[in-house]
Amino acid sequence: MKIFGKKEKKPRIKLGKLESREARMGYLFVAPWLVGVLAFLLIPLAQSFYYMWYNIRITPNGMKFTFLGTGNFTQIWLENPEFPQQLVTYIWQTLIEVPIIVVFALMIAIMLNGKIVARGFFRLIFFLPVIIVSGPVMNLLVSEGASSIPAMDTQAIVSAMETVLPVSAAEGIGEIFSNMIMTLWYSGVQILIFLSALQKVDPSMYEAAKIDGGSEWECFWKITLPTIKPMILLCSVYSVIFLSGNEQNELITMIKDAMFSGTKEKGYGYASAMAWMYALVITLITLLFFLLLGSKKDHYDRLVKKHQKQLKKEEREAKRIERRGRRNAARMEKIQRKGKFTTYDGSGDY
Amino acid sequence: MAAYRGHRTNPDKFEKGQIKIYIMILPMILLTGLPIIFIIFHAFKPMEELFAFPPKFITTNPTLDNFAKLAKASRSASIPLSKYVFNSVFITIVSVLASLLFSTMAAYALSKLKFKGRTMMMQINQIALMFVAVAVMIPRYLIVNKLGLIDTYLAEILPLIAVPVALFLVKGFVDQVPDSLIEAAYLDGASEWRIYTSIIIPLIKPAIATAAILVFQQVWTNIEYANYYINDDSLKSLAFYMNTLTSATTTNTVAGQGIAAAASLIMFLPNLILFCILQNSVMNTMATSGIK
Repeated sequence: MKIFGKKEKKPRIKLGKLESREARMGYLFVAPWLVGVLAFLLIPLAQSFYYMWYNIRITPNGMKFTFLGTGNFTQIWLENPEFPQQLVTYIWQTLIEVPIIVVFALMIAIMLNGKIVARGFFRLIFFLPVIIVSGPVMNLLVSEGASSIPAMDTQAIVSAMETVLPVSAAEGIGEIFSNMIMTLWYSGVQILIFLSALQKVDPSMYEAAKIDGGSEWECFWKITLPTIKPMILLCSVYSVIFLSGNEQNELITMIKDAMFSGTKEKGYGYASAMAWMYALVITLITLLFFLLLGSKKDHYDRLVKKHQKQLKKEEREAKRIERRGRRNAARMEKIQRKGKFTTYDGSGDY
Repeated sequence: MAAYRGHRTNPDKFEKGQIKIYIMILPMILLTGLPIIFIIFHAFKPMEELFAFPPKFITTNPTLDNFAKLAKASRSASIPLSKYVFNSVFITIVSVLASLLFSTMAAYALSKLKFKGRTMMMQINQIALMFVAVAVMIPRYLIVNKLGLIDTYLAEILPLIAVPVALFLVKGFVDQVPDSLIEAAYLDGASEWRIYTSIIIPLIKPAIATAAILVFQQVWTNIEYANYYINDDSLKSLAFYMNTLTSATTTNTVAGQGIAAAASLIMFLPNLILFCILQNSVMNTMATSGIK
């Protein structure tokens, strides 16, 4: 008598026809991009990771490698006071500037999403700086002092800040004040991302909220903001990356200078070490924004998870009962066999 | 889908309620509009205004002097300007098109198709995004050298094809395309390629336009690849040429300043033109909620 079926082994899931087709198409679609990334991003990255432990000198008979271990790092931290200092300033600056850019972009986007005359023209103007800031034109503008507000006394602000904050933080803030206009110029893409996100918010939601007596302010916090939350993260990350990679960044200039300097102790290995440390810092900052703005699971997700947990518990319980049952059945059989002699010889059915 | 024109809700008339928005926006418009006006005015400044202190913003008596100087300087070079223009245009068009095609395809696959290792690929892109692009210059040179691409157009095109920022932006938009739209198309018998061309592409047009502008700038203003990977002068880009022209002259003469101003206007104009062409699709953002 077989009450409980033998525990079925979970079969190894083989992809179905559709799934394997989807996977195949996926690889096909990614392939060209992947090749490009492998050849011109990943392999160079790996190489620079390897090079940062070496001192590299380019001699007429090719490159000369000398293994340094952590030599490059100690050299950067101990003998180059400028790099750590710039790094700290950069961190402060990014942490303060990114929220400013994002909030500013969101404000502008909300205003531009409203119904105003000549909206298209305004959008164009706000997006236009994007086509300047990354070009050599920006260098010209900065050198001409067009990016700062001359009437603003930055020095006073900085010295006032220094009494409350560490010097590097105060410097970062001061730099932001002196480059206020530049911050506005940087927000073109972000405005655009927000605009497209705002237009995707379902208008009927606002209507429903209005009917229920919600004010504009409430609508913003309860409908607009939650809906565009993923885009806020996208914008922050984009801002971090943009700020860290543009040509106005002094760390970039420093790395570049180190890379092409022919001196004995600097060179490519030194520059790679710098770049990797810089990349690490950028990653940490991005992670911070991910932690702050990353999508927390909403109520529904939590419920689903709870339910799944419950199911799993029940399943475990069922298994336990099944095991117990099987054990009992075996015991019963044993007792039966002992007590009662059967003529069954195993040759088939009775 | 094609008939849907987005939320075109621009009012025809001026309304009182708009005044408060205008008051907030106008000063910002002035600030953001400044650089463009500056570039344009700067190119037409005569010598004494270029060096005026404090720097003047508006040109009082505009001249075409700077452009004449630029033309003269380029005429004396051995390679005609048109060759550089052709190089730059060719390189830019090919790399912008290729990088857009590749990154949208990859974004679609990474966001909507399920296959092994897609999260890993996204993380790779994330890492590449964080890394300073300048710092991989030398390993890239080694690879370009190994592939035998030094002194070919490919050396200037290939490294710019995989742009992490473009993929990052585009993927953010593809993620927003509802899955049900794709499923519906799938049930109707559309292949992946068909879904890509007739659903994904039209829906993420604004992202494509934005990415196009970003990539275009990166390629158009790029000096480094022409500088390090190309030895043959006749294959170098216009940006590189403009740079040498201005830097060579600024070191010894003051006239370089004027040439630099004119050159930056010339380099800036294609950006502006491309932007004006694309701005309609950038601005008229999408109607992703094709599903009710």
